[in-house]
Amino acid sequence: MHTRRTALLAAPGLLLLLTAFLVPSAAMLLAPPGVGTGEILERLGDMLSNAYDLRIIGRTVGIGLVVTVVCVGLGFPIAYLLARSTSRWSGMLLALAIFPLLLSNVVRTYGWLVVLGSNGAVGQLLTGLGMVDKAPQLLYTDLAIVLGLTQLFLPLAVVSCYSAVAQIDAGLDEAARGLGARRMRTFWDVVVPLSAPGIVIAATLVFAGSATAYTTPYLLGGSRHRMLSTQLYSYSSVTIDWASASATALIMTVLVFAVSGLSSLAARRGRTS
Amino acid sequence: MNSRHPVAASLAVAGYVIMIVPLLFVMATAFTAGNTLRFPPEGFSTRWFGAALANEPFVSALFGSLQLAFLATLLALLIGVPATLAIHRGRLPGKALVEGLFLSPLVVPELVLGLALYQQLVIGLRMDNFQVLLLGHTVLLLPYAVRVTGASLALVDGQVEEAARGLGASPLRAFLTVTLPLLRPGIFSAGLLAFITSFNNVPLSLLLQSFEFRTLPVTMLDYVQQNYNPMVAAVSTLVLAATVLVAVLAERTVGFARIFGGINQ
Repeated sequence: MHTRRTALLAAPGLLLLLTAFLVPSAAMLLAPPGVGTGEILERLGDMLSNAYDLRIIGRTVGIGLVVTVVCVGLGFPIAYLLARSTSRWSGMLLALAIFPLLLSNVVRTYGWLVVLGSNGAVGQLLTGLGMVDKAPQLLYTDLAIVLGLTQLFLPLAVVSCYSAVAQIDAGLDEAARGLGARRMRTFWDVVVPLSAPGIVIAATLVFAGSATAYTTPYLLGGSRHRMLSTQLYSYSSVTIDWASASATALIMTVLVFAVSGLSSLAARRGRTS
Repeated sequence: MNSRHPVAASLAVAGYVIMIVPLLFVMATAFTAGNTLRFPPEGFSTRWFGAALANEPFVSALFGSLQLAFLATLLALLIGVPATLAIHRGRLPGKALVEGLFLSPLVVPELVLGLALYQQLVIGLRMDNFQVLLLGHTVLLLPYAVRVTGASLALVDGQVEEAARGLGASPLRAFLTVTLPLLRPGIFSAGLLAFITSFNNVPLSLLLQSFEFRTLPVTMLDYVQQNYNPMVAAVSTLVLAATVLVAVLAERTVGFARIFGGINQ
């Protein structure tokens, strides 16, 4: 195809991206209506130094890291067992792990209100068994947010790890075993290093998703367990504080970009070494 | 699951419990006869399904969400498929940069994009909420359209189209009668993925909602915050049932794991 005709094919998309994505995003981050860039930087400096905002940033990064570790820790074993299984159920189980990706986040998160709520399943079970007198506060805690985000992002971890494990020749496992390595040793010394690229992708996707998710901290964290996402929403729709909204958006964007950058750096290192 | 790997098997079971069990509780609660969200449910009834289907805000939100998802998917495909051809088949300067641009909406947090569109286009330029929402959803779906169609295009032999051209077909005719039919499964997968992504979206739909237009997920979030009855459990169960139907449709046509997992089996 000629260059000019090719450019015409891509032009509508580039125009849309420019006018409904790049320009508005840059304008929002640097110069919101009636707010100077200096004011945003000042607010940014303030957020990075006062205890209230630092706790929200810390909670966002901390919850993101915990959810990443849990999702990879549970998702990798699922992917490994499914990829190595010869059972006729493994296809069904893989579909069951991918299916939640299609399902609304609101529907998935709503389940935890029924499980963790004050009249919910866990509380009723504990009081019913006489283990506690009064149902403990489970909803509107950091634990509830971690559980909700794990449910949301585990399918993504399974998918990324599965593609990686499925590419490893199962003969390598057997070779290591044949040379006398025990199952655990084979797993840690052969399977895990060979699927490292998939694990890095899984961790990046899960962290970026869970550190910026809105529905879960909104429904399960309540008003006291704020994350950057719920803060951003209240600055932009409740208090209409454009300087704080832009500063928060800047922190969220930099956080996600930094993690993606680190992960592609790690991937490049892995390829050259 | 597997007796040779007891540790991995117990972690895997824990993973499935976290992914699936909350959904079972949603379904069980939807059939309660009681008035509050509690477990175990008080009696059995389908009255909350009746109440949900008779609830005007939920019904109009459902039709609004379907309309938005349909229009945004159509736009994303109309814009994204030609762009994919340009990226993979054309002689485009800075090809990698252009592809990166089309995929870039995936990297920016959706809430940040939503705020940018709300502040700059709705408030700044006084554009209509629904138009901006449609543009925003289209931007969000473009990466899916470009990536999924691109993966499918990579499997199509470019020489087939060249052959058609050699036999005297015009470029447009060669594309329409040769390449497009071969791309159909890819475009169908991209469309399905885009439709579901738009239908389920919260951040953009939340920030760009108006009195006249609200999507189903946003209406559900709002209702949960203000009421403590199981209506949303019934709505969720209906959404779950519809999603299972879509999954079965996807499995029968192109293969479920291939579309949604990006897994090539």
